[in-house]
Amino acid sequence: MWFVFFSTSDVFKAEELLIEADINCKIVPTPVQDKAYCGVCVETENEVAGSILSGLEYKLIK
Amino acid sequence: MIYFDNAATTKKKPKVVYDAVNEYLCEIGVSPGRGSYSIGIQASRLLYKTRCLVGNYFGLSVPEKVVFTKNSTEAINLFLYGFLEKGDHVIISCYEHNAVLRPIHSLKKDGIIDYSVISRNDLMLSPEEVYRKYAKPNTKAIVMTLASNLTGRIVYNAELFRVFRDKGITTFLDASQGAGVIDIDMGEGNIDCLAFTGHKDLLAIPGVGGLCFNKDIELKPIIQGGTGIHGDLYVNPSSFPERYEAGTLNMPAIWSLNASVNYLKAHKKEIIIKERQLIEYFLERIAEVENIIIYDYDFERVPVCSFNIAGMSSDSVVKLLDEKGICVRGGIHCAVLAHKSLGTVSTGAVRVSFGLFNSPEEIDKVISILKGSK
Repeated sequence: MWFVFFSTSDVFKAEELLIEADINCKIVPTPVQDKAYCGVCVETENEVAGSILSGLEYKLIK
Repeated sequence: MIYFDNAATTKKKPKVVYDAVNEYLCEIGVSPGRGSYSIGIQASRLLYKTRCLVGNYFGLSVPEKVVFTKNSTEAINLFLYGFLEKGDHVIISCYEHNAVLRPIHSLKKDGIIDYSVISRNDLMLSPEEVYRKYAKPNTKAIVMTLASNLTGRIVYNAELFRVFRDKGITTFLDASQGAGVIDIDMGEGNIDCLAFTGHKDLLAIPGVGGLCFNKDIELKPIIQGGTGIHGDLYVNPSSFPERYEAGTLNMPAIWSLNASVNYLKAHKKEIIIKERQLIEYFLERIAEVENIIIYDYDFERVPVCSFNIAGMSSDSVVKLLDEKGICVRGGIHCAVLAHKSLGTVSTGAVRVSFGLFNSPEEIDKVISILKGSK
């Protein structure tokens, strides 16, 4: 699953939070959805990630 | 060569700063936010880390609330042009650099705002008295320099900012002069917004400055262009900080700022003590020069001092010292308001400004030349 953020700062903030919580994650190109996107997002398979990132604004793609 | 123009730019930097530039150019070399490949992501990660480092350094409650610009002039312009609206009133001090005066005066000239200047004497009034004398119902911001780039006098007053902030007036600090040698905590210091530049006492290379936000302030961007995200939009996205950072950032300079801020954090005490000793020693020794006039002698200061020698023009003093390999600054120092307050617009003044790598022996040499100058 991918966590897509509105601001790039939040992508790296999310990465820091997930690493601190010992959750495997990777920053990857944002998947093409209804339109192409040139930013990056956070990819993880860990279902707990959402609760760690609850303070941030994001869109979840599964 | 003796370099005493650190208030303009600190010429010598700690080795870690040069190393950081080299490392960035050689090992990364690409721009943040411009590629979703690994090395581009690493560039973005380093940008984010530096943003947070700088935000923490200035005591931001949300450390990533930092916008990078090419210098403090651009940061100040972003704030003033982006924040002020028709009919607003702004208060500034008589020590403001032209980086503050000129955009404010241009806005006034265009009929958009009005402004008042706190006089040199009135800076001695209590904060409440300053408020009563200068604030108007339409005052939107008070803009003040941390320290005078001309005389070194510390101008910013946290209590004054508190009084204005309590009345709903936005407080803006121009920290170009002094950030790096004076501890700043935007929260405790009642500072809503702060502009900084990297190349002076923050010891980074030229080409990076920024604007720190300790309050949610909506600005109109002054530059539109590529932001690396939301590329389908016809104008800058509203996301922070991309909204204000259109165009490629100077990442080698930003990474040098990362190294320099870490250096400052690790050596804070010794830097403050050394620079204080240098300015105190200079003030003691310069008094030995016949007919010396020292400006703002009695004030708390950063390691900057301006003087004149009666009977000698300021430019001739600059020339004399330059012939001996000593760099000091004459002229108006981009601070016409301060010169006006001191009565030195027509004469100019000689400014010396010390940095981490200067020594008392260098001061002795300058004093010896000035004492023999008549």
